[in-house]
Amino acid sequence: MDDKNTILMVDNLTKIFPSRESTGKPFVAVDHISFALEQGEVLGILGPNGAGKTTTIQMLLSTLTPTSGAITFFGKDFFTHRSEILQSVGFASTYVNLPANLTVTENLFIHGRLYGVEKKSLGKRIEKFLHTFDVWAVRNQEFSTLSAGQKTRVMLCKAFLTYPRIVLLDEPTASLDPDIAVEVRRFIALQQQEYKVSVLITSHNMDEVTQVCDRVLVLQHGTIIANDTPTALAASVSAAQVQLMPGDSLDALVAYAQRNNLPYTVQLPWVSITVDEHKIAHMLNGLAQAHIDYSSIAIEKPTLEAYFLNVAAQSRHHRQPEKRSS
Amino acid sequence: MNIALHRIWAVMLRNMLSEKRNLIRLTDAIYWPTMDIILWGLTSTWMRNNQLQIPNIVLVIMSGLVMWQVVMRANYEISISMMEEMWHKSLINLFASPLTVTEWVIGCMLNGLIKTIFVLFFGAGVVWLLYALNIFTMGWMIIPFVFSLIMFGWTTGFLGSSLIIYYGQKASNLPWVMAFLFTPVSGVYYPIATLPGWAQKIAYALPTAYIFEGMRSIIFTGQMPYRELFISFCLNVTYLIGSISLFIFMFERSRNRGLDRL
Repeated sequence: MDDKNTILMVDNLTKIFPSRESTGKPFVAVDHISFALEQGEVLGILGPNGAGKTTTIQMLLSTLTPTSGAITFFGKDFFTHRSEILQSVGFASTYVNLPANLTVTENLFIHGRLYGVEKKSLGKRIEKFLHTFDVWAVRNQEFSTLSAGQKTRVMLCKAFLTYPRIVLLDEPTASLDPDIAVEVRRFIALQQQEYKVSVLITSHNMDEVTQVCDRVLVLQHGTIIANDTPTALAASVSAAQVQLMPGDSLDALVAYAQRNNLPYTVQLPWVSITVDEHKIAHMLNGLAQAHIDYSSIAIEKPTLEAYFLNVAAQSRHHRQPEKRSS
Repeated sequence: MNIALHRIWAVMLRNMLSEKRNLIRLTDAIYWPTMDIILWGLTSTWMRNNQLQIPNIVLVIMSGLVMWQVVMRANYEISISMMEEMWHKSLINLFASPLTVTEWVIGCMLNGLIKTIFVLFFGAGVVWLLYALNIFTMGWMIIPFVFSLIMFGWTTGFLGSSLIIYYGQKASNLPWVMAFLFTPVSGVYYPIATLPGWAQKIAYALPTAYIFEGMRSIIFTGQMPYRELFISFCLNVTYLIGSISLFIFMFERSRNRGLDRL
């Protein structure tokens, strides 16, 4: 597992918080997770709220001390080489701000200096990234006066400003307009291809994860329950949605679905039937034999979103605080 | 104008519930008046006992006032640096960078030093303008004492910041409370002998007692009190190392709970 292309290696990482007032028992936020991130790879972390995504990122930034486990960046132990390693780690989160009373340029300049970027090149680099993320016009505004979307873009400037080899992004496009979010995804892809920057990203946007990530870790109750490509994870959910516009055959179609125990929803003029992807042809054949007509058909293949919803539903169903205590 | 009692009650309830969960705010109401009564009561007692036959009394009090501002400012600059990051929700950005806690500590101390020197000269200027008194009549002898005061301000600043980094904004009043706590036993405006015996023992465990006694000695005799200066430096170095160590210890404890909660 440990080779020269491995940028990050996490081994049995665990975080147990002391007992909470509400339960009186210790809370296992992250439970012995292990994974690796290769150079130039974009790794997504998915999971319902409270699954341990942000806790994991915080431990990878040293703003939270793990209870046990090891973190290795660039082949070096994080706990003994913290400062040296963080020099090459960029970070942006929608939920973390920069000093509100400093201008955008001042904030970026200070961060550049914190990471040791040379004064000479820093100005040009700030200008480049402000243009890239379309926030050049607000460069002299105080951070507090920016919109949520502008703040997010400035945070992304900060993350990539300092020549990082790896960037940790906690929901980076959560407050962005769709067109800007598309630009951000393109930018991440470019950084990956041209500069071999590795990215660890948490997001609730499944389309984004599908488009951007090479691989996805799925966390549930602080443990990794899946580690695969977005396509493979989506394919693990076999249920597809077949949407039909039945017109006069509405009652017959509903009766057919009931007869065959197929889950369905009616949202006129559409009827949506959930069916195993491999049995779509069989169902359509059955409809033809039963002379059930429809004027239009749309088939939605299994998606990562369907996979995520499935995981989230399981998470809610099985959430028992007792099971999470050590 | 339409005034609704239920809305006024809602505002009162909001404040009461907030105060119930922040007892430090409530103690403010008791703490500050008590401290003022002690401080000015002791100053008045000293003046009455000497029947106002104290040479340079106004200079002594004005020097004490300006010099205590040095302590308060040095204390404030350390604490406010930490609190500003919390108010702006930017603490994570700072400590997710290569910055070490020690570097942060040194940066804050140097920043505090610059501002404190500015406050000293500003205060001295105001005293000169309003009262035609020059607190720098003590000459160069004042310099080591000022530096010693700044060190004590840093000490209280790191003590307060130790609590802020662990307890978060709940403890935001503590830096002010903590620095002022030492005022009555520091002999800022009156000699330590004015204090009751038990309080004198506490006072002589603090560097500030030696500093203010020393400065009064310069005003009254014009001689440099090397003994007081030496003791104040020794105590200051000890306490400053202690408070910075405590801050780093509390920072690590806070990191164990997660800096993102602050």
